[in-house]
Amino acid sequence: MIPLGHYVLLSAFLFCVGLFGVLTQRNAIRFLISIEIMLNGANINLVAFNRYFGASDATGQVFALFVIGVAAAASVVGLVLVIAVYRLRKSVFIDDFNLLKW
Amino acid sequence: MTETVFYIIAVSLCVFAVLSVTVKDVFHSAVWLALALLSVAGIFLSLDAAFLGVIQVLVYVGGIMTLFIFAIKLTARIGDRSIRQVSQQSVCGGIVSAGIFGVFLIIIYANQWNDMMLPPGQGIGLNGLGKALLTTYALPFEFISVLLLAALVGAIVIGKVKQ
Repeated sequence: MIPLGHYVLLSAFLFCVGLFGVLTQRNAIRFLISIEIMLNGANINLVAFNRYFGASDATGQVFALFVIGVAAAASVVGLVLVIAVYRLRKSVFIDDFNLLKW
Repeated sequence: MTETVFYIIAVSLCVFAVLSVTVKDVFHSAVWLALALLSVAGIFLSLDAAFLGVIQVLVYVGGIMTLFIFAIKLTARIGDRSIRQVSQQSVCGGIVSAGIFGVFLIIIYANQWNDMMLPPGQGIGLNGLGKALLTTYALPFEFISVLLLAALVGAIVIGKVKQ
């Protein structure tokens, strides 16, 4: 049998790998990839706690479904924003996105 | 049997996630992300959440990954290996994320649920999930559809080439 701690450990590791990516990537697309990794770590956590604690309750799985839906919407808008800024600045590196910097 | 499969998938998931964050080429990074998302679907299957695994493959691997690959191919020059992909703060970022992982470890091992075993039964199943989605969570469900519509319209408006 797999103890609950191993699932939580896996999801914590995924979250930290995604966090490392968010903190260090220069490329906006890889930034979005790191955010997807973080969200997947959170999803594993939700589903694992639902399976271990909710005998007849689907709350965790419903939340994971909502997270998947919101993540899809977020990455669509994020990628379109990256492409729009690329048209304007010919770059996808976050260092070059300084239009709002004064 | 289930344990062996779980540990194989979990270790490969960690390797795929680390590779997709650290590898040099952006396209390779997207491919590693696709493999990591498939492994997450496997983890969902091991938790008796078959429907979520199917949705994970459909939405993430089928939809979002295609979008990522399109975005990478549409923004030329970024696939170039000679361009540095990681910022100068990578050491600081590593220290911060390792520190947060350490905090997570302390929290996990300080709790009683740490070595809790899987309760008997088959989990909630598709039947219970569908009922919860259309009774208790009917309003958030509708909000998600409005949000997806808004994202669709917003993506078209932002991505449109102005004449």
